[in-house]
Amino acid sequence: MISYIVRRLLILPIILIGVTLLVFSMIMMLGPYERLSTYIKDPAELKNVDVDVLVTKLGLNDPWYEQYGRWISGVARGDMGWSESAGSTVTQAFLSRFPATAELGLLALLPVVVGGVILGVFASVHHNDFWDHVSRVLAIIGWSVPTFVFGLIMLMIFYGTLGWFPPSRLDSWALDIVNSAGFINYTNFFIIDGLLNANFAIVGNAIRHLVAPVITISILWWAFIMRITRSSMLEILRRDYIRTARAKGVKENVVVYKHAVRNALIPVVTVAGRMVLGLLGGLVITETIFNIKGLGQFMAQAAQQLDYPAVLGGTLYFGFLLILINLCVDVSYAIIDPRIRLE
Amino acid sequence: MSKEKLIDVNDLATYFHTEEGTVKAVDGVSFEIYPGETLGIVGESGCGKSVTSLSIMRLIESPPGKIENGEILFNGKDLTKLNQKQMRKIRGNDISMIFQEPMTSLNPVYTVGDQIMEAILIHKDVSKKEARQEAIDMLTKVGIPLPEQRVDEYPHQLSGGMRQRVMIAMSLSCDPQLLIADEPTTALDVTIQAQILELMNSLKRQFGMAIMMITHDLGVIAEVSDRVAVMYAGKVVEYADVKDLYGDPKHPYTWGLMYSIPHIEKDLERLEAIPGNVPNPLNFPEGCKFNTRCQFATDKCRVDEPELEEVEEGHYSACWHVDKLEEQKAKQGRG
Ligand SMILES: Nc1ncnc2c1ncn2[C@@H]1O[C@H](COP(=O)(O)OP(=O)(O)OP(=O)(O)O)[C@@H](O)[C@H]1O
Ligand code: SF4
Ligand SMILES: [Mg+2]
Repeated sequence: MISYIVRRLLILPIILIGVTLLVFSMIMMLGPYERLSTYIKDPAELKNVDVDVLVTKLGLNDPWYEQYGRWISGVARGDMGWSESAGSTVTQAFLSRFPATAELGLLALLPVVVGGVILGVFASVHHNDFWDHVSRVLAIIGWSVPTFVFGLIMLMIFYGTLGWFPPSRLDSWALDIVNSAGFINYTNFFIIDGLLNANFAIVGNAIRHLVAPVITISILWWAFIMRITRSSMLEILRRDYIRTARAKGVKENVVVYKHAVRNALIPVVTVAGRMVLGLLGGLVITETIFNIKGLGQFMAQAAQQLDYPAVLGGTLYFGFLLILINLCVDVSYAIIDPRIRLE
Repeated sequence: MSKEKLIDVNDLATYFHTEEGTVKAVDGVSFEIYPGETLGIVGESGCGKSVTSLSIMRLIESPPGKIENGEILFNGKDLTKLNQKQMRKIRGNDISMIFQEPMTSLNPVYTVGDQIMEAILIHKDVSKKEARQEAIDMLTKVGIPLPEQRVDEYPHQLSGGMRQRVMIAMSLSCDPQLLIADEPTTALDVTIQAQILELMNSLKRQFGMAIMMITHDLGVIAEVSDRVAVMYAGKVVEYADVKDLYGDPKHPYTWGLMYSIPHIEKDLERLEAIPGNVPNPLNFPEGCKFNTRCQFATDKCRVDEPELEEVEEGHYSACWHVDKLEEQKAKQGRG
């Protein structure tokens, strides 16, 4: 197991370099003058200088590998230039928006994977009965309604009509508390910080604001994870080794939960990995609809305002994130399946 | 054979109720097995051998499958009347089973030791540590080298022959009275086949269990069985001591199989032993189910179904015209 993870980690740098090269080549598609903008914090800086001198001074006409070297050492230090739309460095902009997105993403992901698997196993054991058909219908609806339509409907019903689940991250009274001196922002995850500060009003308010976006972003995946688990289980339950287990006198629920589920999880992990990618896309839409100041919303705004440094920095960050997710998926496979671990 | 019967199957019928219709996979099968004896069950693919054995284990997938009729007396107790909880005490303990495909019969995500220990822990009151030691002992008994190391390996790290040995170790770990072996060697290559059969014979001497050996290989049957039941289309058509059956078959189907196989080591399936096809279990012919392929068939055969009858002492055949077969044998100078 350890040796498998080490082997995985050893190829990580190669992939990382590949990703940086890819992003760098996107940067290089811009001309030197456009790239100059990533160094300019205020247009006033350009008033008294010759732009060509600046370009030469910053080495924007140097051979690409020299520029790559400079850029990558900047990236390594967390320096990805100045973001016009955020009014701060790209790194600062990302760090300040990361908690909102992570909170939303994790709350969308974990219950879906755990709950979807449990429901899927249940559905496979009770296949073809009433709940099985209900889940099938829900899955089809979940798949066919686009996130932005679903999000707007949620907003309309649960905020517009019922007033239950407001948009943004917190009500303004709660924001005042969070920004006050007495409240310590340990993580900037409002639920966790609320708990750590023993301020349950904040926890409650944060959750209330998260319900609608979490449902919006994950509704489709509930159904999907569940259906995949179900069909995987149905296939596994027909395998010879399940019959072997029964022939040993193993109890039926042990047959299902010990012998079948672990094998059935293998395709589920694949789907969960893809789900994370899907969530990243869904974040942009969901954060925009529910006015959550997270990375998705930031990226969308940056793109609209042609804020190249933010977009490219974001691409790089998301690239790294994907590599990390892939690693998690691969490690999960190895934990579940000894054939992968020992190959 | 004056001993008590270990298992006594009477008129067993197991059907599958599918969308296309009722599949009469097993339709009136009777046989018995005495303690310590090996009964061979032979027949072409699809004749109901596996369904018979799974019926005994009460592992028929239900729905669509259902035991429609008959009784399965095991030590006098009718297994068809037990509930699943009572059956679980018998499975793996009194009756255990090994299957055709060693490659897929073991769970790929657990070590072979875990899988053997599981059976031991279910049926015996021992600690994990003792169970592990028993598992290692069993691996030693089935001739697996380095058992202390193998016990922690996963099925994919073992060859097919080794996996079948693991299956055998697992099935014998609780000292069963009956071992059902459903084509245990079919998926293995010839030299490994011989080794596994030899192993089973020697374990039988050591453990004293009865074996129900299912196969479509007449050579295997000849090697290991005391008595043989020949199945055709969900029924036992001939039932006799192994010597009598091979020396003097009394059913046209058995005779056809042997006639076409001068060297009985060959595999039934590969030879077009008898012209024609096995009838579709969704739509069996009226009367004797063999009548579509039988050279002796008469009008009676197409209307009435013959039952197993004792044609010689201890030799049963389900055929209206055993006499015609005898004539033919005499004519050909075979017999
Ligand atoms: N779950 C099921 N649903 C429907 N029909 C089934 C099912 N299981 C078995 N059958 C049918 O029952 C018949 C007997 O099958 P069985 O597996 O007992 O044959 P077999 O003698 O073991 O053959 P083989 O030598 O190929 O293993 C076949 O026609 C098969 O199609
Ligand atoms: S009963 Fe008739 S059809 Fe059946 S085996 Fe005998 S002779 Fe052939
Ligand atoms: Mg079979």
